[in-house]
Amino acid sequence: MNHGERFINEPTVLNTMQPEAVSLFMSNVETIPGKTITRSLGLVTGSTVRAKHLGKDIFAGLKNIVGGELKAYTELLNESRNEALQRMMLQAHGMGANGIVNVRFATSSVAAGASELFCYGTAVFVE
Amino acid sequence: MSETLVLVAWVLGPLLATLAFPLTSWGLGRWYQNRVMNALLAKEKTEGGSFQDANHLSTASSTAILSARSSALLHVSICVGPSMGQMFFMWFKSLVGGRLHSYDVVLEYGRREVLYRLRQQAKALGCTSIHNIRLETSVISFAQNQDSKRSSVEFLAFATGLLS
Repeated sequence: MNHGERFINEPTVLNTMQPEAVSLFMSNVETIPGKTITRSLGLVTGSTVRAKHLGKDIFAGLKNIVGGELKAYTELLNESRNEALQRMMLQAHGMGANGIVNVRFATSSVAAGASELFCYGTAVFVE
Repeated sequence: MSETLVLVAWVLGPLLATLAFPLTSWGLGRWYQNRVMNALLAKEKTEGGSFQDANHLSTASSTAILSARSSALLHVSICVGPSMGQMFFMWFKSLVGGRLHSYDVVLEYGRREVLYRLRQQAKALGCTSIHNIRLETSVISFAQNQDSKRSSVEFLAFATGLLS
């Protein structure tokens, strides 16, 4: 799973090269269940544009002979989406937030051979 | 007589040679996709039982979130596509229109699989229910040229997992 070793009663830990670990509560509903929102800090966004890796593309091309799941693309998209999430979390952390509510994801093909993965939400301070 | 045979061979030979790859790919695709679909259905029967309850898997952000102790954001995506042979024959089918069976099968598989994985992720994190499920579909074009015989569809599912 893309969350790694994480349990539900802990906030998501941001995995960056930052010395101090950043942890945020996230949900795609209007509140953070079990917490009280004390302040709303505004919109936060994170996005990344990824192109395919040539080696992966060759394997995906071979997989296209039978169809079904294209694991190379699934992994690529998962990595990218996590990166977009981390950028959003970093932005929220910079604003002094400790949670993001109403998280939404969007995917679009911006150019031939590249896709943009975008996520956005509302940064909040919860207690 | 032999001249007719030669003529037939001249016509059919290249035709079969051109169709050999699409036919193989089509056949392999049908077989493989049936297999993974059956495997998924079997997995759903045996493992996916705990969230089948209507109250535990919903697209609404219900009042259950108010009494929950904690939550987690869940997100899973999967990339699926029909086989090249299926794409080839679908092009012919699209001349007359109607139901594109190969796409039906692949998209059905992708959507079920992504929901299954969402449930698995929720279980792994210790959630007791999943709320506000959102499903998104997008076409991912990693192909360099637009008229490429390859296409993949991404399914993204995201939700809030609750521990109540």
